[in-house]
Amino acid sequence: MNKNKEQLLNKRYKAEKRFRLYGQSAIFMALLFLTIFIFKIFSTGYSAFQKTWLIVPVTFDAELMMLEQNPSKEDLKDADYYDIALKSMADLDPNANEDQENELKRMVSYFFEREIKRELLNDPSLIGKTKDVYLTASDDLDQVFKGNYPRDLPEDQRRVTDYQLKIFDQLVELGKVESKFNLSFFTYPDSREAELAGIASSFMGSIFSILVCLMIAFPVAVLAAIYLEEFAPKNRFTDFIEVNINNLAAVPSIVFGLLGLGILLAVFQLPRSTPLVGGITLSLMTLPTIIIACRASLKAVPPSIREAALAMGASKMQTTMHHTVPLSMPGTLSGTIIGLAQALGETAPLILIGMVAFVNTIPGSPLDPAASLPVQIYIWAESAERGFVEKVSACIMVLLGFLIIMNLFAQIIRHKFEKKWS
Amino acid sequence: MIKINSKNVDVYYGKKQALFNINLDIEENQVTALIGPSGCGKSTFLRCLNRMNDVIDICRVKGQIIINDFDINDKSCDVVRLREKIGMVFQKPNPFPKTIYENISYGPTIHGMAQSKNEMDEIVETSLKKAALWEEVKDRLHEPGTGLSGGQQQRLCIARAISVKPEVILMDEPCSALDPIATAQIEELIDELKKDHTIIIVTHSMAQAARVSQNTGFFHLGELIEHGSTDKIFKNPENKKTQDYITGRFG
Ligand SMILES: Nc1ncnc2c1ncn2[C@@H]1O[C@H](COP(=O)(O)OP(=O)(O)OP(=O)(O)O)[C@@H](O)[C@H]1O
Ligand SMILES: [Mg+2]
Repeated sequence: MNKNKEQLLNKRYKAEKRFRLYGQSAIFMALLFLTIFIFKIFSTGYSAFQKTWLIVPVTFDAELMMLEQNPSKEDLKDADYYDIALKSMADLDPNANEDQENELKRMVSYFFEREIKRELLNDPSLIGKTKDVYLTASDDLDQVFKGNYPRDLPEDQRRVTDYQLKIFDQLVELGKVESKFNLSFFTYPDSREAELAGIASSFMGSIFSILVCLMIAFPVAVLAAIYLEEFAPKNRFTDFIEVNINNLAAVPSIVFGLLGLGILLAVFQLPRSTPLVGGITLSLMTLPTIIIACRASLKAVPPSIREAALAMGASKMQTTMHHTVPLSMPGTLSGTIIGLAQALGETAPLILIGMVAFVNTIPGSPLDPAASLPVQIYIWAESAERGFVEKVSACIMVLLGFLIIMNLFAQIIRHKFEKKWS
Repeated sequence: MIKINSKNVDVYYGKKQALFNINLDIEENQVTALIGPSGCGKSTFLRCLNRMNDVIDICRVKGQIIINDFDINDKSCDVVRLREKIGMVFQKPNPFPKTIYENISYGPTIHGMAQSKNEMDEIVETSLKKAALWEEVKDRLHEPGTGLSGGQQQRLCIARAISVKPEVILMDEPCSALDPIATAQIEELIDELKKDHTIIIVTHSMAQAARVSQNTGFFHLGELIEHGSTDKIFKNPENKKTQDYITGRFG
């Protein structure tokens, strides 16, 4: 008898130990995958936050710029900078032939003209003088400098020529190549040229879409939840609605994209590729998430609070608005933020409504064409050029950072509320 | 003087009948205790008096309950006005998760009883004083009501109930979550309150019923078995069941 009991005890201990081991290994696996993922993203992405500049001496020759004596600000703006820009690049190798001059020109981005112009506009006294100007290196040289480009490939398989590499190495030797923080990654819109591509247009597109989504989904969802939870009679019909809201939450997002395409664009003729349409489409997706969160937190309000208010002579409406809804707000808000975070990461429906178009302007309102961060990731991941590889990872980092901040915010709201009254 | 007069009250939860033909008169400015074993329908009856049973979907109330010559079960009765006149204190203290001040000021606010901040301050002060809580909380009026002890919370709920100057106060086992000292404070308070209010209290404690009430009603399985003055019910009850219950032989 006693022995039997001991055996049972041992068995139980062993089972408990085993169970704990399973749990720990599951957590370990999850953490491992997460670490690998984050490591991969960071190791490919961090270099996108650096940008390579060539420091090139530019002579601001008034004649070449077609400038009169004592030019006004307007004259400076209208001046021709292309020739001095070309000349500065060509001067890097005094013995270059015409082909080589062309190759020299392609060592910097096609913004070089603009960058030289900005320099002069900042300091008009430079006319007639020579100054070292920072020019954005072409994406291929950028990659070479970051060590992401294999130099030992045969020349015809490379996008940088031997000649360009020779000149570049000379510049490096002279200390005329510098790597600096890549501010333009955040301030430039998308571009076909990797060295000039930034996330400003997709970032603003995401912000506008999320705002539109919030402004539509939040009020509708909260009203629906309050009505269903507090006022609607409990019968077959409301059960049916409840089941369908839960179903709606499970509908694949691409279906909402088709809905946006078929109704918002085709029937209502709303402008294509805009955050307005994107936001409305996303709000359809977010709606059930917020309704479910709001109903759950309304349910969690103790009935004794409602009874107390009713017994004080508050009407149903007053009870709901003065007590139940304010108490449910933290839960509703954190559910809303989580719903918005999901919407922020959504790609498929946005592609369907045309937010995948190439946009090289920064949207100023929800009615301007825009991309969004996840779609930007998709667009860049599709690009063949090497310069976009690091941009994809960098964009993922920005998106993840955004999501983490939102989730943190949701946590804080929930936490603060729990601390306050109990 | 009869304050509340209930006639042939039947209550059903769905198909199940919880109260059978209750006829009970409540005396004005006296304390009436409702006693009986668990599940006999005391709370159900109490909730009939301020129509709190309306909140329960499946609950139906039949019969007449007449307060101030007016049948509160009549369609023309406005529950908001009714509940302004008939306050309620629940078994478990349930202050609003707001400040002490806001707990008291809520009723007067929704019923438009104060014209100014000063008037409101005065209502809050007198209500708290009547509930014997003022001295303990006067320095922390703007702290959460949920931060008080259980006994203080229950007195806060009583203060909240009397803030709208109700004619009747219903109390459903107000002391069951409290220790003996807090219970004694509340009993003292009830004695004080009966000068201005008619009080109906549900209790499981025979001793408490005997101490605080002038009249007692004994419920059993949904029926009102016996009612009358507390003295008579406790000293020589007419019904055998009443006798058994108060001497602790069942329940
Ligand atoms: N919401 C409800 N739904 C269905 N039945 C209910 C409900 N509330 C009470 N009842 C039933 O009505 C009867 C009377 O309940 P009531 O709460 O009035 O008893 P009570 O005398 O207050 O008991 P206690 O002393 O335990 O509080 C019980 O049989 C109970 O099961
Ligand atoms: Mg009860």
